[in-house]
Amino acid sequence: MASLSLRRERIISEHDAVGCIADGMTIAIGEPHPMALVRHIIRRGLRNLTVIGSGLALDILIAAGCVRKVISYYAGGGYWVPVAPAFRRAAEAGLIEVWECEEGILTSGLEAAGKGLPFLPWRGGVGTSLPQVNPDLKVFSDPINGETLIAVPAIIPDVTLLHAAESDAYGNVRHCGGPGWIDLFLHRAARRTIVQVEKVISNEEIRSNPWATTINSGVDICRMPYGAHPFYSRGYYVQDKPLVAEYFSAANVGGAGLGHFLDTYCREPQSHAEYLTAIGIKRLLDLHEY
Amino acid sequence: MNTEIPVEQTQSCSVQEIMAVFLARDLVDGEQLQVGVGLPVPEAAVRLAHLMHGPNMELIFLGARMNVAHLDSIPLPQFGWDRRVVRWAESYSDTGHRFDHVNDWAKRVFFVGGIQVDPQGNTNLIGIGEDHRRLKFRGPGSVGTPTLTTHVGRYYIVLNTHTARTFVPKCDFISTVGWGDGDPNARSKLGLPGGGPRYCVTPLCVMDFTESPKRLRLRSVHPGVCVDEVRDHTGFDLVIPDEVPITALPTPAELTVLRERVDPGGLLRSPN
Repeated sequence: MASLSLRRERIISEHDAVGCIADGMTIAIGEPHPMALVRHIIRRGLRNLTVIGSGLALDILIAAGCVRKVISYYAGGGYWVPVAPAFRRAAEAGLIEVWECEEGILTSGLEAAGKGLPFLPWRGGVGTSLPQVNPDLKVFSDPINGETLIAVPAIIPDVTLLHAAESDAYGNVRHCGGPGWIDLFLHRAARRTIVQVEKVISNEEIRSNPWATTINSGVDICRMPYGAHPFYSRGYYVQDKPLVAEYFSAANVGGAGLGHFLDTYCREPQSHAEYLTAIGIKRLLDLHEY
Repeated sequence: MNTEIPVEQTQSCSVQEIMAVFLARDLVDGEQLQVGVGLPVPEAAVRLAHLMHGPNMELIFLGARMNVAHLDSIPLPQFGWDRRVVRWAESYSDTGHRFDHVNDWAKRVFFVGGIQVDPQGNTNLIGIGEDHRRLKFRGPGSVGTPTLTTHVGRYYIVLNTHTARTFVPKCDFISTVGWGDGDPNARSKLGLPGGGPRYCVTPLCVMDFTESPKRLRLRSVHPGVCVDEVRDHTGFDLVIPDEVPITALPTPAELTVLRERVDPGGLLRSPN
């Protein structure tokens, strides 16, 4: 006999999603970037966050003054700028602390958290300055062969924010084209995960191909079409290069121009819908993949 | 010197094209060639090698592995941030799983940049300054270079500039270990299984390493560059042999493939 009570749906509003984040928390930002939730964090004016992230999402949160500590293996702007400008300025001024690491070290720390371990060993970084500039990384002699390795402590995000293609109402998520980056590591390590999706699909469709489910139920879902804009969303749209370039040129200069950018795109629109209205339908539809 | 190269051809060739062709010729069919973000010269080099002499090479950009030797597409797929790069891939892996098979990396080749390089080929992407909490110049971070250079069969240091501020006696911070303190056994003493850096390629020259101790040595200068210019732009005593040849020039066939198939947009011919 079927259950007498209804299964709980996991779709929440952007307001409720960001509402669970408090000043000083550790938040992880996936890739493609969940930009709608990032903008909402800026709108709410959260402060002193520790951010695990990279690229545009990381830099814009720093530019908006939300960040105290950065956990990142790469804070460049890809092809746009060699070093993300707000990150660079804040780090040089001593306004943010940088937990220096690299890809394998970061994923080892996240994996340790997901597996419930205090640390995992890693080799990449032995002989470099990483253990000196990041005292949380402990160089040790392994008990099996006596090799010199780095113990990477568990990295536990309070909240992980992701952007994916689809989910059902119960939080079964599909990444289009595979979970290409670090999303699943961020999810498994976190106390709580919120995924914004382009589209909510039926539970029947999820069950038609369970292997395609990348994150299973238990996460909260925000319905955010075009929610990664101006970043890309696999299967839906490519980067809005002029807007990304506009951000990086404003961030390079800083000051009033950067403030104006943040006001226009992050603080003044009171919701994701208002943001999309400000961007305009033509611009969004022009961002097709092929 | 390659006297068979027509003069008009060599004069129209950019230094980035010479760098890409030098690297391409050094890559061997069957190798796995991994390129990171924002390195146009290595990106062109691996595609050129793939089309010229490497039908069994695998090109790896981030997690996407591809063999596109049989494709007629012009241009070849651009390495980019969005899903379109995956369209050309035969397999894909997410960030954490790219380092799950390092025991298979003897045939893998990698390329690193750097904001500082020291005489032993150690490099720095972290930053410049004495105090890590107040750097004078904050770099982008180490990306995956520490792990990759720990394990790959060999790698190349490729820089967009060659100045005394880049080539320094000692890196302020080390993000990738080349030859450590210069001891030829420095890497094995640290337990780093990979083969270390082979060449350092800049807009002025190509450098390799002396055998013992391991130290950067001028191998060739690009056309129009003199040895003194390299010496003046290097912040330490570079090993300079008595005879320094000119870097070999692209052949007409290489330039044709480079310009028509690999880089039709002329990225390597545009000023930095």
